[in-house]
Amino acid sequence: MHLAYLDAGSGSLIVQAVVGGVAGAAVAAKLYWRRLTTRFRRRPTDRS
Amino acid sequence: MTTPDTGVRVEPGSFRDPANRVFYADGEVLRGLDARAAEDWRALAASEFFPPLLAAGKVCGTEPVAPDRFRAPDGVPWAAVLRHERIPFVSHPYEWSFGMLRDAALLHLEVLRAALAAGFTTKDGSAYNLQWDGVRPVFIDVGSFEPARDGEPWAGYRQFCQTLLYPLLLTAHLGVDFQPWLRAQVDGIPPEQMRRLFTGTRRLLPGVPTHVHLHSAMQQRHAAATTSDVRAQLRTAGYSRELALAAVRRIEKLVRRLAPRHARSHWVDYQRTCTYSAGDRAAKERFVAAALTAGPPPGLVLDLGANDGRYARIAARHAGYVVAVEQDPAVVDDLYAALRAEGQRRVLPLVMDLADPSPGGGWRGVERAAFATRARADLVLALAVVHHLAIGRNVPLAQLVDQLADACAPGGRLVVEFVHPEDPMARRLLANRPPGLFPAYRPDEFARLLAARCRIERHVELPSGTRTLYQAVVGG
Repeated sequence: MHLAYLDAGSGSLIVQAVVGGVAGAAVAAKLYWRRLTTRFRRRPTDRS
Repeated sequence: MTTPDTGVRVEPGSFRDPANRVFYADGEVLRGLDARAAEDWRALAASEFFPPLLAAGKVCGTEPVAPDRFRAPDGVPWAAVLRHERIPFVSHPYEWSFGMLRDAALLHLEVLRAALAAGFTTKDGSAYNLQWDGVRPVFIDVGSFEPARDGEPWAGYRQFCQTLLYPLLLTAHLGVDFQPWLRAQVDGIPPEQMRRLFTGTRRLLPGVPTHVHLHSAMQQRHAAATTSDVRAQLRTAGYSRELALAAVRRIEKLVRRLAPRHARSHWVDYQRTCTYSAGDRAAKERFVAAALTAGPPPGLVLDLGANDGRYARIAARHAGYVVAVEQDPAVVDDLYAALRAEGQRRVLPLVMDLADPSPGGGWRGVERAAFATRARADLVLALAVVHHLAIGRNVPLAQLVDQLADACAPGGRLVVEFVHPEDPMARRLLANRPPGLFPAYRPDEFARLLAARCRIERHVELPSGTRTLYQAVVGG
């Protein structure tokens, strides 16, 4: 994984999706949705 | 044959990106690149978007030179070395007016948009990526370009907000001058500070909801997440180059509609309201023009206290480059707009208080050079400024003469106006001070101090009888 010399800031990267308009906001929503579903999906595995 | 390492001086402001470093050798501005950066440079030089930006002067003139003449600080040879066109006078964003910072921001976005469309990006988004050639902004950080990785947002967005967008929002929305904020913080204004300034209905001002409040909230919320994780998640969620381009276009649209909300200061109308008679003005203009042509044409002229730029323009007829320094940001903004409209190419207007000039900034105080270390002019104009510093700011005359003489290169000329205590403008300043506070503020004492530091070539008293102009050679 190639990383930039500058710390771009995680929050700053996500905000840019919203700055990009409706399509961008949809990407941000998708990102959150995936995070949420991943969290729920993980729970049973954590217990096992 | 050239010996490696001779006279190489590394630019102290160029260390943040270890892949490339600016240095000076043989009077040239050079940039050493490591293997990866050299590969990026070759891709850049072969790209479709870069050569037109170079040709238009929007990106600083750049050409490759033989790398074997120079060594990197660790002794390893550079993979490639580039030679840059020299910027006539290096300035910092906190010395620019609102219009200058806005045009610099727009150029950065234009360059980024061109890069994104061609599959490239810039690694950062700093105001320090830009410099000026007169009133024309120039993108100088050629080392910032790299091929874009698909599905990744712009890494320089936060820096762009902190050093360009937020300062503009401060002046446009709140009427607060941004210069002290940028001067105090080399990395600009963080979103958390901005958020606290934009409360209540100010939250809804253009650009504020997303770039300030959402940005600040997201930073706090995702402080623990690594940027590589977030990049991967964004890519999976479908972030694309088109979205990155759309974001840049929207920021451009926002920046373009920002206008300054300056408080009108009395300096704006200074030339009109000050007490010059037509005779005084004509005599002063003749004196200044004669001083400019007294020797070989000066390469760099500093006009200290430039106001509406009347004398800076006269200087530009005879000099290579003129830096017009003025304290009031609104006055500099007007001057910048006027110079651009006139197509004047040789005058750089800057905002600075001569009683509080830019100190060294950033890491160890050397990353951003102090004004005193940059200001070495062939000719210095100090017209109608001595009384403001000596009476208005209590600077002792001897130190004031030293300050003006130090701004001249050895053998340089100083053109200075002494406003007598009986002059209406000096009287107005003295009226605010206890009588007898400045007993040394007299024409004879000023002439004595000037003669101790310089060789006075000639002097003339203006027809009004309350102002004297001196032309002197420093160290002569």
